Amino acid sequence: MGPYDYGISAGSSSSSSSSCAGGKPTELDGLLAGAGYKVRSSDLHQVAQRLEKLETFMVNAPTEISQLASEAVHYNPSDLASWVDSMLSEINQPFPVSSSDLSDFSDFHYMDDLVTPPLQHEVLTDAWADQSAQQQQPQPPLQQQQLTVVAAIEEDSGIKLVHLLLTCAESIQRGDLALAGTLLEKMRALLSRVNTGCGIGKVAGYFIDALSRRLFSPQAVCAGSVLENEILYHHFYEACPYLKFAHFTANQAILEAFDGHDCVHVVDFNLMHGLQWPALIQALALRPGGPPLLRLTGIGPPSPDGRDSLREIGLKLAELARSVNVRFAFRGVAASRLDDVKPWMLQVGPREAVAINSIMQLHKLLGPDPNRGSPIDSVLGWVRSLNPKIITVVEQEANHNQPEFLDRFTEALYYYSTMFDSLESCTLQPEKAVAEMYIQREICNVVSCEGSARVERHEPLAKWRARLGGAGFRPLHLGSNAFKQASMLLTLFSAEGYCVEENQGCLTLGWHSRPLIAASAWQAVPLPDTNSLPTINDCVL
Amino acid sequence: MAGGNEITVNEAKMVVPLNTWILISNFKVAYNLLRRPDGTFNRHLAEFLDRKVTANTTPVDGVFSFDVIVDRATSLLSRIYRPAPADEAQTQAGVMELERPLSTEVVPVIIFFHGGSFAHSSANSAIYDTLCRRLVGICNAVVVSVNYRRSPENRYPCAYEDGWAALKWVNSRPWLQSGKESKVHIYLAGDSSGGNIAHHVALKAGESGIQVMGNILLNPMFGGQERTESEKRLDGKYFVTIQDRDWYWRAFLPAGADRDHPACNPFGPNGKSLKGVEFPKSLVVVAGLDLVQDWQLAYVEGLKKAGQDVNLIYLEQATIGFYLLPNNNHFYTVMEEIKRFVNSNC
Repeated sequence: MGPYDYGISAGSSSSSSSSCAGGKPTELDGLLAGAGYKVRSSDLHQVAQRLEKLETFMVNAPTEISQLASEAVHYNPSDLASWVDSMLSEINQPFPVSSSDLSDFSDFHYMDDLVTPPLQHEVLTDAWADQSAQQQQPQPPLQQQQLTVVAAIEEDSGIKLVHLLLTCAESIQRGDLALAGTLLEKMRALLSRVNTGCGIGKVAGYFIDALSRRLFSPQAVCAGSVLENEILYHHFYEACPYLKFAHFTANQAILEAFDGHDCVHVVDFNLMHGLQWPALIQALALRPGGPPLLRLTGIGPPSPDGRDSLREIGLKLAELARSVNVRFAFRGVAASRLDDVKPWMLQVGPREAVAINSIMQLHKLLGPDPNRGSPIDSVLGWVRSLNPKIITVVEQEANHNQPEFLDRFTEALYYYSTMFDSLESCTLQPEKAVAEMYIQREICNVVSCEGSARVERHEPLAKWRARLGGAGFRPLHLGSNAFKQASMLLTLFSAEGYCVEENQGCLTLGWHSRPLIAASAWQAVPLPDTNSLPTINDCVL
Repeated sequence: MAGGNEITVNEAKMVVPLNTWILISNFKVAYNLLRRPDGTFNRHLAEFLDRKVTANTTPVDGVFSFDVIVDRATSLLSRIYRPAPADEAQTQAGVMELERPLSTEVVPVIIFFHGGSFAHSSANSAIYDTLCRRLVGICNAVVVSVNYRRSPENRYPCAYEDGWAALKWVNSRPWLQSGKESKVHIYLAGDSSGGNIAHHVALKAGESGIQVMGNILLNPMFGGQERTESEKRLDGKYFVTIQDRDWYWRAFLPAGADRDHPACNPFGPNGKSLKGVEFPKSLVVVAGLDLVQDWQLAYVEGLKKAGQDVNLIYLEQATIGFYLLPNNNHFYTVMEEIKRFVNSNC
């Protein structure tokens, strides 16, 4: 590297680096990339010109500034050129079209104006949490992706435990199972001297269990019954904000996508208790111009005991919809695997605007299946064929599907340590305890299962972008309005330490500085012979 | 300044490389959106627009990083940057040992306070993550970047308190000690508001008996009630206006205080002399096109008058933010000086 290339690739995983002098015109400016901005070298002059124009506007029309700030929705700030352009076009159209917000939080649309003497902590949040966190017990602070720093009293045992865990995982990878077994014994002994109630002790215990399982009883199934899973899921939903964030962000995007459509159809890849949908139904009820006809197709595993639990949920949602005067129809599709679903089962009408909603389901399709070709490809294929208006995707922001076991294990150790640390701030019981079991199941699956049994194959946003892009989808950017509402939701419902971040059009929720869950939205790239999308018109019921 | 704006925009473009101009203008435009006339700050939009990067224990260009909680009570985080070990065998089970003790050779530990006029940016902002990584490589130092609380939500003295907490934390880490005397060789550094914080934390350190080996102030943020010649001459010409400087001081200083508050104007009418006071040697970098340079130069004078060791680097043609991208001579000049500063042990 020449002197002017120093530090181009410094730590930023999302930038594509190129030398700033003499690089190809289609390449990005490497130095701006290091600062988080993607600008093609060939576009620099144009971007500069437009920035100048914007600056001139701002100087000459200062009232425009407050409008840009409070009303305009900003998208994907990394794409500097389009950000500047969007603001220039906002200035040229003095009356921006604002999309409806979720009714539950419509108050917050105005909070900016009502509030804030500078010390209003409740409303303004800092990405890394400016305010005090109330912690009752001395707790080891946990960090992402690395050895944990533990409280002074436990220091040696905690760090030793982590070393042993990693060494054990490494010996398993090498095939030295005898050594792995010995290490497990050592770890259990050490565990008895460490506080297993919180921090490293708690999470290490789960990892030790998972390693034991891998060594001694790999055939043992990690998953519980359908009913058990639903209970765990529900408690995880209550105890921490990850699922609420997922639902909230997806709903916001779906609401915006459905704007102007009279017949809409949501396909939920994993209905569970339908927790996501009351808010959307209510928001649709309140949208200007009246609600559309809403169809919801909920996919879920078949109920073992003959109950039609999908239908039961559907009935409850129908009742809610009726109470707010939203025409509503529900269909349940029972399938144990997403790739068992055939598009005809969803009965998508020709004039409907379709939203596909996948909350932590796509990664389950990444496993190998000798009989079925690639499950993820087949599902993405039929999704695309439905030509949905929007696909909302939420996934764990982790690299738990790497080919090498040690890499997966290490990543999982740090990821779940961080997640457990965030859970410490929850005071609700039994929600917290049961939520821990939910997480523990995931850990178990990542660490002790292999092949088709290992379904928790989380991949990070960067990989999903590539995968979805390659499957014919393009991103729909989540904007500053969604970001703001998600941030506000957090301050209301969660402890300090959670933070929302914007990542090239996607939003992530994390604990302290580690993103743990990522929400994104997509649309099918139009095929050449695609018909025009449905707009306001009659629907066939 | 509306009339002169066209000219000033072109002037600024003539003294910085194009990508630098774009970067800093982008900040200028974005920051205009965030400051409200009533003194409040659009924090949500600020966090949305700020480009952040995660820490990375995998070395990139010989540097790895990880985050620590310095003070749970205030959720004070810091990002630690360390040189990757040259020897692969030193990593246990393929995993970086984050708190491996430093060597018996002296390794400077630079506590870095990012800029942003007390209101903007974070330790995990991309521009500062990049800068800290460069500092590690250039100085062969450990860098601790402090994510101090920002105004207007947290006014004076929160940022100073966080800086002080970080200093105490760094000073008490056995794994940051180096050299024959096994002590932490601490330097305080910062740009813009970070430089201001470094000064005040150094003062506190001196009062409390913690040794700081040196202060590095890059375009430090100081001010005062008076309108100096440089402020009037350069107002609005190189990305910065008097009006925005005033806004940030109003947002940081206690309600009702004016810019002669000692936090803003340490050697002003309400300041005090540092004569005979325990204070580290200082390296102060002033950009010739920075409108607050008269205050920065007054700061240097104040240190000199008090008999303190201060080295001024005045870069005539430099603007604010020149150190953010390594595409100009000022960058290399200053990095060399910083390297020399932290590697000459007194």
